[in-house]
Amino acid sequence: MTTYLVRRLIQMVIVTILSAMLGYSLLYLAPGGPLLFLQQIQNTGQRRVTEEDIARLKARYELDLYLPIRFTRWLAGFPAGPIQIGGVNLIPPDTVVGCAIPGQVRLRYPDGTVEIREEGCVRAVTLADLAERRTSRGILFGDFGLSQQISRDRPISDLLMSRLPYTIQLMGVSTLLAILIGVPIGIYSAVRQYSRFDYAMTGITFVGSSLPTLFMGVMAILVFSVLAKDAGLPYLPSGGAQGIRNYEIPWIGTVQAGSALDRTLRFIMPCAVLTFFNIASWSRFIRSSMLEVLRQDYVRTARAKGVRERAVIMKHALRNALIPFVTLLAGVLPTLVAGAAVTESVFNWPGMGRLLVDALSNSDYTVAMAILFISTVLVLIGYLISDILYTVVDPRIRLT
Amino acid sequence: MATTTSTPAASGAIERLQSRSEGQWAVVFRRFRRHRLAMASLAILIIIFGASILAPWIAPFPRDEIGLNRTRLPPMSADPVTGQLHILGTDHLGRDFFTRVIYAARVSLMVAISVTTLVAIIGSILGLLSGFFGGWVDNTISRIMEFVATIPDLPILLILSAIMIQNADLIVLPSWIIGPVAWIMAVPNREATQVALLILVLASLGWVGVARLMRGMVLQVREMQYIESARALGGSSAWILFKHVFPNAFPPLIVAFTLGLNGALVSEVAISFLGFGVQDPTPTWGNMMGFATSYMFNHPWMPLIPGLPIFLCSLAFNFIGDGLRDALDPRLKL
Repeated sequence: MTTYLVRRLIQMVIVTILSAMLGYSLLYLAPGGPLLFLQQIQNTGQRRVTEEDIARLKARYELDLYLPIRFTRWLAGFPAGPIQIGGVNLIPPDTVVGCAIPGQVRLRYPDGTVEIREEGCVRAVTLADLAERRTSRGILFGDFGLSQQISRDRPISDLLMSRLPYTIQLMGVSTLLAILIGVPIGIYSAVRQYSRFDYAMTGITFVGSSLPTLFMGVMAILVFSVLAKDAGLPYLPSGGAQGIRNYEIPWIGTVQAGSALDRTLRFIMPCAVLTFFNIASWSRFIRSSMLEVLRQDYVRTARAKGVRERAVIMKHALRNALIPFVTLLAGVLPTLVAGAAVTESVFNWPGMGRLLVDALSNSDYTVAMAILFISTVLVLIGYLISDILYTVVDPRIRLT
Repeated sequence: MATTTSTPAASGAIERLQSRSEGQWAVVFRRFRRHRLAMASLAILIIIFGASILAPWIAPFPRDEIGLNRTRLPPMSADPVTGQLHILGTDHLGRDFFTRVIYAARVSLMVAISVTTLVAIIGSILGLLSGFFGGWVDNTISRIMEFVATIPDLPILLILSAIMIQNADLIVLPSWIIGPVAWIMAVPNREATQVALLILVLASLGWVGVARLMRGMVLQVREMQYIESARALGGSSAWILFKHVFPNAFPPLIVAFTLGLNGALVSEVAISFLGFGVQDPTPTWGNMMGFATSYMFNHPWMPLIPGLPIFLCSLAFNFIGDGLRDALDPRLKL
């Protein structure tokens, strides 16, 4: 078990670093970013942008460092300055790690044309220079750097933390509800296979799992907000986690913006859409797993012994049917944090999924990368937890 | 499950008698026909698909014709100036909804079909190679599949397509990609770049499922005796792979293909809805939905116009997949 865990952890670190490299190369390839902004100022002619300005901006976003150095600083906050052990420099502190201002070489061709080419370096960045900069602790240690566009120069971790409670609330409640409703439906459908209830539920869950959440969300707003309001019926407010000004709802009265009632009313629809979507997958899963187990010999043995049907189902069948359930639970972990981009956008819910969409539409790729990185790590942790849980619920399985 | 007039045992016997004289695909089709919802779905899909193919001929208006004096007209209303009928009304710029919906069907459905086809080709090749040859080939491909599977789908899809689409002007695709895409989607060349990019992004991440399926099937089929006899008769690896292994792994691939169509359609719709997919003058159901939702509070019919085709196609793909699964499974007596 211990050797297995150690091996798995090493694998996880490798995959994490690989996915970080992939993410970073995407980030690096993506055009746009701060230098484009400076170019726009130059183009409007308001201010002449000097070489110093460019160098300062490059230094701020570390664009003046060589790519491998930049990557290790982003990943693990290394090197943060001269590399020392006990005051002794391992590498001379004047080692060049980047170039602040590139040199320009004027090439004059025989035919009279002139080309300016960047070559060499007028002012280099050395290891010693890095000590004066703000160094992030590295994304491996939870420091994602600064947001470039959405909230200028605020740490990304602050931004994530401000959105996290909303996502955990939405995803947590809807997943819990889906399990509480979906599992009994699945069990009952399996026990009464081919009954009317089973047919109805199979039909509903089939539709529920095949419809896109986008369509369900928009239809929910249309029916419960727009049409209900037009008809003078009580309606559910849509958009955002809380209102800006007070509003009137028939039969209920005035709702204070930001009150518990207001928040609850706004929470119902996104939560219901996600719950409906999840019920479908949970109940289908439990149904098929239950059907498998009910066919087993030990279930027949239990019945033959004269065990009451209720005990057969709850004790003998269900417990074994829930074993594969553990793998699904592991998949919940990443969605709990990464959220649901489409549903959150439809309902304007200020969670992580929405943040990802906002970050991408503002070309704030560092924020997007942070979200991608966190969810990748969570997927890996989810796999690990599910493997360990498997040995707990099913003693036949041993990890080696 | 469809009902039959005779008893299940009798119809099973009849089927076994009949299937001696008819080919495998005739049997599959006969079984598929019994799934009523799947047949209805097929009919709906054929209508929508037909309309999208005929879009340039049956569209009553030019695709991008803006009319600022006729914005957001409800369905079945006439143009206030010319008196022409707008069957499904007009959008926020006064463009005819019916025209745009059928052109959008072309883009959305063709994106789904191209993505799923690419995914099926890449996935089957990698899956077949990995399952058949084993060893280091299997090891390498499996590690890559595991890695791609760890990266969360939607975030990476959104990030990739956002980066690609926002910089579509800077990316030059070869004309042998752009040309066919523009022709199939009935869009001008300059709009084809973003559609092609979206297809590539979706396909590059979607192949893992198919590859896994094929690998599993091959591992199963490889141990069969007829493979052994084919090898004993001196069949080469390539011959066995394509003549014996692939046809046996084919039925589940068809089911995965149909369900994959739904996945690709929904992904394209979601990405375009969020604004990172195909951009405005080119209509897709996703970006039409994006605009329609911002006007839905005063014009509640607007989101239904792109919404219903999404709903119908999505359900139809699932029903057909379900029907095919039943029809292709020889263990299941229908």
